[in-house]
Amino acid sequence: MTSPALLPLTRRSLLAAAGAGLAAAVFPAPLFAQSGSAILVIAAGQDIPNFDPHTATGYSASFFLRNVYDPLVRVEGNPPEPTPALAQSWEVSEDGREYVFSLNPEARFHGGSPVTAEDVVYSFQRALRLAQGNAWMIRGIVEEDGIVAQDESTVRFTLAAPFAAFLQVLPWIFVAEKAAIEANLGEDDGQAWLMANIAGSGPFSLARSQAGTLYHLERVSDAWQQGGGNLQGVVWQIVRETATQRLMLQRGEVHIAIDLTSEDMDALEGAAGVVRVIEPEYRTFSIKFNTQHGPLADIHLRKAVSYATNYDAILDAAGYADLMVGPLPSTIFGHDPGLEVYRTDLEKAREHLAQSAYPQGGITLRMVHVSGLEQQRRWALIMLDSLRQLDIDLEIVPMNWPDMVAACQSPETFPDLFPVYQTANYGDPDNIAFAAYHSSRNGGWQNAVYANPEVDALIEEGRTQIDPARREEIYAEFQRKVVEDAPDIFGVLERRKLGMRDTVQNYRFTPVASNAIEAFGLSL
Amino acid sequence: MLLFVLKRLILIVPVLIGLTVVMFVIARVLPGDPVALAAGPNATRGEIEALARQFGLDQPLWTQYFTYLSGLLHGDLGTSLSTRRPVAADIAAYLPATLELVFAAMLLAILVGVPLGLLTAVWRNRWPDYLAQVAAIGAISMPRFFLGLLLQLFFAMWLMWLPLGARLPIITIPPPTVTGFFTLDALMAGDFDTFRTALRHLAMPAIAMSLSPLATIMRMMRASTIEVMQQDYVTTARALGLPRAKIIGKYVARNAVSATLTVIGLYFGWLLGGTVLVETVFDWPGLGLYATRAILAQDMMPVIAVALVIGVLFVTANLLIDLLYGVVNPKVRYS
Repeated sequence: MTSPALLPLTRRSLLAAAGAGLAAAVFPAPLFAQSGSAILVIAAGQDIPNFDPHTATGYSASFFLRNVYDPLVRVEGNPPEPTPALAQSWEVSEDGREYVFSLNPEARFHGGSPVTAEDVVYSFQRALRLAQGNAWMIRGIVEEDGIVAQDESTVRFTLAAPFAAFLQVLPWIFVAEKAAIEANLGEDDGQAWLMANIAGSGPFSLARSQAGTLYHLERVSDAWQQGGGNLQGVVWQIVRETATQRLMLQRGEVHIAIDLTSEDMDALEGAAGVVRVIEPEYRTFSIKFNTQHGPLADIHLRKAVSYATNYDAILDAAGYADLMVGPLPSTIFGHDPGLEVYRTDLEKAREHLAQSAYPQGGITLRMVHVSGLEQQRRWALIMLDSLRQLDIDLEIVPMNWPDMVAACQSPETFPDLFPVYQTANYGDPDNIAFAAYHSSRNGGWQNAVYANPEVDALIEEGRTQIDPARREEIYAEFQRKVVEDAPDIFGVLERRKLGMRDTVQNYRFTPVASNAIEAFGLSL
Repeated sequence: MLLFVLKRLILIVPVLIGLTVVMFVIARVLPGDPVALAAGPNATRGEIEALARQFGLDQPLWTQYFTYLSGLLHGDLGTSLSTRRPVAADIAAYLPATLELVFAAMLLAILVGVPLGLLTAVWRNRWPDYLAQVAAIGAISMPRFFLGLLLQLFFAMWLMWLPLGARLPIITIPPPTVTGFFTLDALMAGDFDTFRTALRHLAMPAIAMSLSPLATIMRMMRASTIEVMQQDYVTTARALGLPRAKIIGKYVARNAVSATLTVIGLYFGWLLGGTVLVETVFDWPGLGLYATRAILAQDMMPVIAVALVIGVLFVTANLLIDLLYGVVNPKVRYS
């Protein structure tokens, strides 16, 4: 199938090449078109080092697993709604602890054997056993003996406690073929074998892999999935420089570029044949305070800083983004749009400063940021400027990310201010609430120091409560309590920025894992 | 001479052992927490400790070091903490790309730089000389990645003559691996289309890498040519009425090249260590990219391996240069 928008480019480039007396084989994308099959090329910055569905993490591996393996349930749309994948239907008991999934009898692994309940049980147990990758999403929620194959095509999950977000995490636990892995167990539960081999049932399989360069997935010829788009293959091409990604998109060498910066998006405005996707996502960027140690353990000082912060400048420096309204992304379930949060107000800042242990200011706080990340550096300068109004000085220390992670281990080593990006891996407030505010996360970078037993209790209640109306109340209460504690400067929600050729059809944005693109439904 | 080569080769061993010691100490001194990083944002403390145990990182440093050394003797370079892949396999995949780029850049620098240096010395203080000097200073002071971006803009975006990056177009299957150099492998397989394509992909990154050594080689060659041309034996040859071309080609060039050889040897190591930015701009899947990712994750096994590989190559390159002195100038004796 020839893609029309690429043709003018081809013609122009051929003319240029002919004029220069050079060979015609300049542009790969049009050549794909000439070969008669629709192959989607995605430019991405990250390599895919690991194919093991139960240990791999990161967006590149998510892309791979989403297309090569199947989960029980997928999500689609905005907000993300669970839709059938391997499970054609499911039933939930009233107390929210029993989930019974009926597998699609058509489902087949690439080798031809049917996907059975036994494979599902094996995969979940393997994920829990290895305790890597996405296993944290179901850790403590499902126990190994709580997953039972009732018959060939029915799986029953008995949860350790009700978990409202269960269907939302299922897309990230992939089902692999038990027999294939057991034949290649080795000494590491098949991990080494799955680094290079595939035991999946997804619509695509791996045709070619060149580490550090590209991964070529091709449509499984007799895939069990019905419908979908016309893609014969997908290429994940590694292009590390975002400016190069943009140039390749403009030239028609790639169909989608997924790591573009705000500057790239500006440059692409009005570019011929290019569609820009700029959508709010569940990715927060905030500045965490050291609530346990140092001057900011004083809640009034935290509030003074929260009010003194120049939020307009913060938003300006962030590019395509929206200011956060409290701790949760404003498009996720449970977010309270009426929440009152801190906005720049010097009067109030001074009031709180007067009530703190440092009524005249005159102290120096320490803020770190990832060295080389321009946006974080700008934020540090904005904070320097904001704090000066309270006569507080800011020492800005650029650090490497591993050093920053190490600093999170104790309140004594944690800096006063710590900027951090956090991504929701599944479409439920529990994800961010638990990772960023539950005290069991203390010592890790997602929530190094903040601990409040009342907030902990709300988070735990929120994840085990299954009545949506009651959950909304719980999360509203959670948001009020967290804002009252002022553990962070609630910064911005960055918008996801993708560039796409206009030949790509049927793309639908989903706010979770939106750069791990699901290729099945797309057409060229 | 054989003894000289042997001695030099044996000398590599303590150098490499020293390198491993330094790298191990650095790994311990750095404040970061690579295991927590590799375990991911949602790992519990228990899982982080389990991962550390799995990689033997809970052992005392000297135990880790001797485990590493004994592995090294079997050609085992360890396992990457962040990707869980064997490092030796990664090096085998990434090294040829870097070497191909470095060799191409060096070749370009020598083939253009040496004759240009000779010519500018002969045309000393005339306009071609001035022009070349100005260009050389520009070439030396221009950062390579910036030059790479300029080349991309010019040759790939405006003229559309050359591809933006990568070693081959995505639809081209690499030739069967013999050397790992796509150009050579394609030639060996008799696949001239792939050879041409690989060469076109190599062109821009090689040019971006070569300009700085090219300029240095040219300036070095010019300076030593001028020096040689003032020697008594050249004056004698002139007085005897030998043709100018013969004097320069046979006596001057040969003696002037000796000094330039040292620069070439040093530049080889400099290029190896400095491919990172050029590889990033052109998505050249080489050692530089591999090392950067590992350093950012404080993933020490790949970092140590890359340091060792570059160390070996650097020492080997300088040994070869020392041997070349003898070829160029038979008066050189090895002892």
